Amino acid sequence: MTSLQTVGHPTSRIDAEKRVTGAATYTGDLRLTGMLYARVLRSPHPHARIRHIDLARAQALPGVKAILTRENCDVIWASGDMRNKRYLFNNPVRFAGDAVAAVAAIDRHTAEQATRLIEVDFETLPFVLDPEDALQPGAPEIQPGGNLSPTARGARGPETYRRGDIDQGLGAADRVFEDHYTSPHINNAQLEPRVAIAQWEADRLTVFTPTQGISNCHTEIARDLELPPEKVRVICQFMGGGFGNKNQDHDFELMAALLAKSAGAPVKLEFTRKEDFLSVHGRWPTKQYYKVGVRNDGTLTAIQLRGYSGMGPYRKGTGGIAGIDIYQCPNVERMVYPTYTNKAVAANLRGPDYPQGVFGIESLMDDIAYALKMDPVEFRLKNMTRKFQDQLPYTSNGLENCIRRGAEAFEWKKRWHAPNEGSGPLKRGAGMAMGSFASALGRSSAVIELDSNGIYHLHVGVTDIGTAAKTTMALIAAEELGVPLEKIDVIWGDTARCPYSVGESGSRTTTHTGWAVIEAAKDLKRQIVEKGLPKANAILTAAANTNPSLNGVARFSFVAHFAEVEVDTELGHVRVTKYVAAHDSGRVVNPLTAESQVKGGVTMGIGMALHEELLYDRASGLALNTGYYGARIMTHRDTPEVEVVWVQTEDPYGPYGAKTLGEPTIIPSPAAVANAIYNAIGKRVKDLPITRDKILGVLA
Amino acid sequence: MSRISRRTFFEGTGAGLVASSVPLRGQPAPPAARTVPQTAIKLTVNGRVHRITVEDRWTLVEVLRDYLGLTGSKIGCDRGECGACTVLVDGKNVYSCSQLAVWADGRTVETVEGLAQNGKLDPLQQAFIRCDGPQCGFCTSGQLMSARALLNRNPHPNAEEVRAGMTGNICRCGNYNHYVESVLAAAGMRSAQPRTKA
Repeated sequence: MTSLQTVGHPTSRIDAEKRVTGAATYTGDLRLTGMLYARVLRSPHPHARIRHIDLARAQALPGVKAILTRENCDVIWASGDMRNKRYLFNNPVRFAGDAVAAVAAIDRHTAEQATRLIEVDFETLPFVLDPEDALQPGAPEIQPGGNLSPTARGARGPETYRRGDIDQGLGAADRVFEDHYTSPHINNAQLEPRVAIAQWEADRLTVFTPTQGISNCHTEIARDLELPPEKVRVICQFMGGGFGNKNQDHDFELMAALLAKSAGAPVKLEFTRKEDFLSVHGRWPTKQYYKVGVRNDGTLTAIQLRGYSGMGPYRKGTGGIAGIDIYQCPNVERMVYPTYTNKAVAANLRGPDYPQGVFGIESLMDDIAYALKMDPVEFRLKNMTRKFQDQLPYTSNGLENCIRRGAEAFEWKKRWHAPNEGSGPLKRGAGMAMGSFASALGRSSAVIELDSNGIYHLHVGVTDIGTAAKTTMALIAAEELGVPLEKIDVIWGDTARCPYSVGESGSRTTTHTGWAVIEAAKDLKRQIVEKGLPKANAILTAAANTNPSLNGVARFSFVAHFAEVEVDTELGHVRVTKYVAAHDSGRVVNPLTAESQVKGGVTMGIGMALHEELLYDRASGLALNTGYYGARIMTHRDTPEVEVVWVQTEDPYGPYGAKTLGEPTIIPSPAAVANAIYNAIGKRVKDLPITRDKILGVLA
Repeated sequence: MSRISRRTFFEGTGAGLVASSVPLRGQPAPPAARTVPQTAIKLTVNGRVHRITVEDRWTLVEVLRDYLGLTGSKIGCDRGECGACTVLVDGKNVYSCSQLAVWADGRTVETVEGLAQNGKLDPLQQAFIRCDGPQCGFCTSGQLMSARALLNRNPHPNAEEVRAGMTGNICRCGNYNHYVESVLAAAGMRSAQPRTKA
């Protein structure tokens, strides 16, 4: 791989100083003159019809300026449900945490007090929490038409993928393995709680909000409020994470806008941390039933999955269970049932469809390798994907190198052993797992303005959720323009000043918007040759709207993770003692911040493996552990040193061959830890998270 | 001041719902909308003395953010779980969301805004930049203040001591490795080069 001038060298973030001095301004740090504060009243029941709402006492409270309920607000939040009409305030309410009313008042206290003075007469309805239970005859109907969420075409059946002939494949196998796995609802739990500030100037609306994508947020707010897009402006300040739950427009932005309109003053709407856990989506819980056929030499003949995903009562995400595609196999059948339940809403969390699916398939493949007396690494090298779904060639595929180089860095041969080896209460074990994630190309835009001082003002619609997107865009611009990084001034996070960008979701910013930056830079260079450098007040402007596509090929990032754990067989405690993450993300634009991405994704994955679950009380249908402490989010002390191995495969597409990075980092992590635990104790825990009680349970 | 305990304070207000009308920076607090007990206190924040009348129910982080305009300290949970609001009170790192402002009467408070001296960044801030400590940055001020407290009492900690000293500061971006590396680098214990295998 040829070395480049600016891209590919470890570089500190261009905005790093602001982040370490407190000067970085987040949405919640803003205060507008005359600004009101808003709070939301939420359903205390998992399923209930609202008979009546009495606002008299709340309205009588001095300082209350506006109240919204279903009775005076029928705005539909279209991004909140892809299949049904989801209003900002719904009747019936369908989960404990569904919004009932929003109040704006002169301060937080008054708004909060007013929500408590609203009297709601609920008629409670039967509820269901488990997706398989929800599909049984006689289960409470959560949405009209039944609890199996329809496909995009409206069909009431599972999301289905097939190739080959599954029965023939299972018939041709020497052995058939069958097992099932579960994964829970977990929360994105980004540090920054939800907050939006809405301000009207005549018929023009400005929304300050921490969003992962200003462009989508902008068009969707305009759509939901039935405003012309040019009347809406979205501004994202620094923003404190999201991991998939700040895409699109959100209910709190719409509520803030409507309250501000009604009250005639700017409104800041804030969610508490508890509301963030309850009413903002998390990862969908799954149940996965697999059947895998294999020949005695380890060749796969069939993979079958029947899966259930609990979406909560609204279809905000795909509910997909992915991971089978990392294996080559002629006969595959996957049927997934995205199902409505009366739990919290579930949608995107880092690597959306993958980590839970990879946990399932990689647990079973691990068992198969052991049963066939094969080294798990050799088993994967034999069966790993060579073509996408055995059909489309990959533009580049570094998976084999990820496995080989990762195993070497991890010292696999030394650390891996027969299951449950050694005596004494502390057992060590090694495990690995692999993954992939689409690295698509697509539509984005960039504008570069060159002034007479030699500063290149780069306008990109990114917001930087922590991925260093601003820095990445600046590095790519500096590289293509052949100028020092300091000459690039990045303008970001404001729909009035930035062109369309896909936003920080699906790990698409570098590949999509980075490509637009390159094309804009090329255009600017052409203009400089033609017209010369700008003088005095002149400005040279170059713009690019790009939409590259792939034809007959598939473009993916690949990853293999290796974990060593120590299990205390008396206490059930698990400690991760070594971790190696090998990644093929093509060319790495900024190795410093890319390393942060990998270490962060691994840390989140270990938390998913060992700690996190939003627990529900079956009797009341209420969530029990809505916060950092109860969710046991990973801390400094839980986190091992993570070693990162880059497998920088040459890829002919994307900016300098860069592929996606942020999302794949979590994908094999829960499976790698689970497989290491099996190697340590010789027993398989099939339900995430692998907590002490489950360890002691399988050992008993 | 009227007597108010942490327990009655939280029972009375519910989780995370405190703060009143927001006075403009540097002006005395306006009369509250309702009759709320108030107390005049003296705070020394980043070397500057402030005499402020606060409502007894205000937390320290609200006074810092809403009254003094020091928004570097963040509110991530408002219930003593995440550490984004960590400041130093008389040199000790505390969650400022779980401290009433009246408790800080007569005390010295240091926030992230006071770390740099005369325009020169603290060694911790420099190391955080070099080692890429902050990802989204929302927990960073708290991480810095816990690290400062740690180095003040133990100038040369090892990695395990750093993890122990900062374990009350959650980073959901999961960048703990780089935070530990930053603190060790600032303490002169380890070079701040990323360990990437290309």
